[in-house]
Amino acid sequence: MTGHKTGLRGIRSDQASGLMLAVLAVYVWWLNREFPVGTLADPGPGYVPLLLAIALGIIGLLVAVFGGRSIPLFNIRWPEATRAVIILVACSVAAFALERIGYRLSIFAFLVFFIGVIERKKLLAVVLVSGGFSLASYYIIGDLLHVPLPVGPWGF
Amino acid sequence: MLETFNSLMLGFSVAFQPQVLLYAFAGCIIGTLVGMMPGLGPLAGISLLLPATFGLNPIIAIVLLAGVYYGAMYGGSTTSILMRIPGEAASVMTCVDGYAMTQNGRAGPALAIAAIGSFFAGTVGVIGLMLLAPTLASFALRFGPPEYTALLLMGLFVLAYMSGGSMTKTLAMAVLGLLLGMIGIDAMSGYTRFSFGIIELGDGVGIVPVAVGLFGVSEILLTAGQQETPRVQNPTLRQLIPSKEEFRLSAGPIMRGSLLGFMIGIIPGSAHIISSFVSYGIERRMSKHPERFGNGAIEGVAGPESANNAAATGAFVPMLALGIPTSPVTAVMIAAIMIHGISPGPMLIQEQPDLFWGFVASMYVGNVVLLILNLPMVGLFVNLLRIPYAYLYPCILAFCVLGVYSVSNSIVDVWIMLAMGGVGYVLRKFGFDLAPVALGLVLGPMLELSLRQSLAMSGGDYGIFLQRPIAVTMLALGLLLLALALKPMIFKSKDWRSKVGLEDQVE
Repeated sequence: MTGHKTGLRGIRSDQASGLMLAVLAVYVWWLNREFPVGTLADPGPGYVPLLLAIALGIIGLLVAVFGGRSIPLFNIRWPEATRAVIILVACSVAAFALERIGYRLSIFAFLVFFIGVIERKKLLAVVLVSGGFSLASYYIIGDLLHVPLPVGPWGF
Repeated sequence: MLETFNSLMLGFSVAFQPQVLLYAFAGCIIGTLVGMMPGLGPLAGISLLLPATFGLNPIIAIVLLAGVYYGAMYGGSTTSILMRIPGEAASVMTCVDGYAMTQNGRAGPALAIAAIGSFFAGTVGVIGLMLLAPTLASFALRFGPPEYTALLLMGLFVLAYMSGGSMTKTLAMAVLGLLLGMIGIDAMSGYTRFSFGIIELGDGVGIVPVAVGLFGVSEILLTAGQQETPRVQNPTLRQLIPSKEEFRLSAGPIMRGSLLGFMIGIIPGSAHIISSFVSYGIERRMSKHPERFGNGAIEGVAGPESANNAAATGAFVPMLALGIPTSPVTAVMIAAIMIHGISPGPMLIQEQPDLFWGFVASMYVGNVVLLILNLPMVGLFVNLLRIPYAYLYPCILAFCVLGVYSVSNSIVDVWIMLAMGGVGYVLRKFGFDLAPVALGLVLGPMLELSLRQSLAMSGGDYGIFLQRPIAVTMLALGLLLLALALKPMIFKSKDWRSKVGLEDQVE
């Protein structure tokens, strides 16, 4: 068990990423089975993806093989990972809300969350920046540049 | 020559139209601001502005977006010099000596030389574009599917050879991008591939959500959480004037950087980034006092800044003449032109001379605008840098969501952007260059179509690539570069990166 842990600890970042690419190549090859490869004279829709999956697999293995001098996998630090996940989740919620409650409200709520809840800025600043940005950007992009932006059920 | 001159006059007649001038000016200002903001490089800036160009005529659209592109090149240098924050990747090298000059109380001359170098390089680049693109376009009229296949393959090999990091990792990213390009309806058979039942994916994955996700969102994921707003120096107009000695030391690097940058710009990859690294390495090697580099050598600002601006212009040569993007930025610009029903390529210069020459002339105008903007108005622009990042990054994220959604009013595009942001964040942690992904995405469908057409033409015989002189030359060149790139991996020898000091900087 200890030896297994030591083995994992010894993995280099390029070795891990190279192997992940090789696994991805196998997955693409597996997905590609449902498309006809055709013949050389008449290549089908699966022909080029198959070539690319093979290329990705080979290159992934090369990355892993030549990755012995890269930094150890466990030396990669992820200090900002929690915040990165929060950002992605908040963006996903904003995207989900965009077509349901409209651009202005969803962007206002999005900015209030980030500036007020995450960054803990003063209430007045939060309201001014969030409100100002959502209204001004809608006016410039939507009204002046005529780019259609989603409007909520309440008409704004 | 007379024909070129007449065409250029036609271009100026277009570029000097008040509306075109106004949009060139707006593009330069937006670009400068975009270039100064961490997390919003030229690519994200252009992508986000794309929907706003839908209602414009194609000439104005391309002039506006090109203004953003080279404006961002200029803008990136300001944050590099004043704060040691590269607004965009090509300005990384400018940080080294630019910021050291700021610490030595010479921020003004560093900004001035960066602006003058960028202006000179931009002008050299436009002259090169003007002379080279029409010639290349007439040559490309001889291209059939095998030549295009060979050209695209050569491009990928050159990309791998010229990449700043590991060749295998660059190639892996390019193949990943090519695979992303396979998503959607196959043009030749009508099969819908890898769409996972999502109807919107039938049209394929768009370059804008991928580019904004990989470059904009991933940057914010990496940098969000930084609390401090750095102090910013604000040099006066008088302090901007370089000394005679600084002018003398900068002249050579500006000229070398301009020529080198333009040549690197034509070939695929993150040309403007690579050119600034290579230029810095060359200047350090050529200097009689290399020990000054890193401690405020003005050559370390003049060379890279000139090179990245010339490369930005050089990238337009294959884009306009061949219809092939050599960088993610030109890929987005091709998408912008195609939205207006115009296909960049060999016929563009003949069929749309006002667009091509208007664009060229607007770049001359844009360079002057940027020189005027960047020097006297630098004090105004640096105020942007005083906005705390806690306010800035949520607004940039909101812009990303807004920009990507409004390209095709598709929420699926926003999901793709977020997924790409997450993937880009992880890949950057593992030291992968993301530009080849975006490039591969655009080149994928072109490569597939030309390869399958070539095979259909030859009845399945790959020998067709050896029977056509242009195709075989390009393939041989590509394979030669691939072999050169493989040599240091196999024989543990030094490659061109270590010779110009690029590896030290990248790592």
